Amino acid sequence: MSDDIAFLDACDAADRIKSKDVTAVEVTETAIRRAERLQPTLNAFISLEAEAALTAAAEVDARIARGESVGALAGVPLAHKDMYYREGKVTTCGSKIRADYVADRTATVIARLEEAGALYLGGLNMSEFAVGPIGNNVHYGDCHNPWNPEHAPGGSSSGSGATVAARIVYGALGSDTGGSIRIPSGMSGVVGFKPTQTRVSRYGLMPLSFSFDCGGPLTRTVRDAARIMDTIAGHDARDATSSRRPVDAYEAACMDSVEGLRIGIPSTYYYDDMDPDVEALVEGAQQVLADAGAILVEAEVPDHEEMNLIWAAALASEAATIHRKWLVERPGDYGDMVRRRIEFGLYQPATRYIEALTMRDTYLRDYCATAFRDCDVLLTPTMPITAPKLVDVDVGGSEDMPAVVLRISKNTRPISYLGLPALSVPCGFTPMGLPTAFQLIGRPFDEATLCTVGHAYQRGTNWHSRVPDLAQ
Amino acid sequence: MSSITGDFVAKLAEVWHRFTLPETDRQTLADMLAPMDDAGEAVAKHLEFDMEPADYNDALEDLAPEGKQA
Repeated sequence: MSDDIAFLDACDAADRIKSKDVTAVEVTETAIRRAERLQPTLNAFISLEAEAALTAAAEVDARIARGESVGALAGVPLAHKDMYYREGKVTTCGSKIRADYVADRTATVIARLEEAGALYLGGLNMSEFAVGPIGNNVHYGDCHNPWNPEHAPGGSSSGSGATVAARIVYGALGSDTGGSIRIPSGMSGVVGFKPTQTRVSRYGLMPLSFSFDCGGPLTRTVRDAARIMDTIAGHDARDATSSRRPVDAYEAACMDSVEGLRIGIPSTYYYDDMDPDVEALVEGAQQVLADAGAILVEAEVPDHEEMNLIWAAALASEAATIHRKWLVERPGDYGDMVRRRIEFGLYQPATRYIEALTMRDTYLRDYCATAFRDCDVLLTPTMPITAPKLVDVDVGGSEDMPAVVLRISKNTRPISYLGLPALSVPCGFTPMGLPTAFQLIGRPFDEATLCTVGHAYQRGTNWHSRVPDLAQ
Repeated sequence: MSSITGDFVAKLAEVWHRFTLPETDRQTLADMLAPMDDAGEAVAKHLEFDMEPADYNDALEDLAPEGKQA
């Protein structure tokens, strides 16, 4: 059987299943075949639930055959970072410590995707406990970048980026606490959507940091990400922090024009110290949007240095609280880098932690007043570099680790501290064949404008339709 | 400038968390903590008496663009 169906995007796959042009079982069989073929190269799955996915696909086909209405993602195979709980199922969190953990609840976003008819193909590789922007994992083996398996896929949602880029699944949930959706999407050449803090329920999502964790999709197109966001966003009574604000129509927003929208190009910080290849490609993306009618303006941004440091202090304080028992009793069961990055939270005074959270209001108001004074969204590189070789960034818990982490996450972590929505969109390839990406940053709850701009860019380019050689 | 040292971190581990920090970890952790301590000290000067972390949730709602859902 041909794999042609694997190269559709999620929206087209759903439409073709619904119109009986192809069956959900055929789509799922193709996804399973590709998952099995590429697993030795990519190591993107921790678990594959082929039989259950095929059973669910057959049920979707039966409902369509009976003329019943089905959801917006009916029959579309997805897989998710292995930290979304499903009641009665093992969720490893990419760790040795939770290798046999059987979840006692189902994550709200998983339940919402199931209601929309999406299929669950398996649990995806990730950085241990969602800590680390590289995507390596000492317990389950490193995940590899589909564009060049010697290179990092980006983390911590490593398998999410790799499986979507390799056209195994049509979309995947990741989580983002400092860049863990945007970094792997950028390194793997797919779209990554980090919503506003409180926009998407965290119920049933493994916690790393109560204040900064965000769930969101990695997909082949902005429109796919918008459709998944339409499905998962919105208030959830089981997440005490969840916003009651009504949700915009994200997929519909993709069809809006960028004519007259003002896109801010920060004059400091985000474009500093960039790889020249990345810089050229991101500048090319700016021009595509200008050609589509957007207006490019220079934007000032406040200083980020202190914000980045207090984000790290607050994140570590929360992570260390969650992990303290295991850090004391089972330190050897963590990878070195992960243990070190969580452990230093044990030594933060409570006052430092509360200061960091208290100042978030001030920093957010200052940032929005300054950066968005003359524009609707900001456009920055997602990262200043492309995917590094795994061997070059495998620094464990050494003294080099903080610099490696900061270099990769420099442009994403401040947005996590502020809690703003951000969309990473692939924008071309370097001469080495590695993808690069830009990041759109919006005002709080303005995901819709990010969809408008991101989709307009993809209408004018075809980077998102390129497929890695090994995934052809 | 922060005066956090490896010995200080080891003492905190022993007193607060009741475990012995390996010799090799002490200075690395101190080096990670020092810039955060300095940043925290600088940031703390901006705190006002009536501020609290929950103000952030109001800021998110206040700063959403006008004309969108509310």
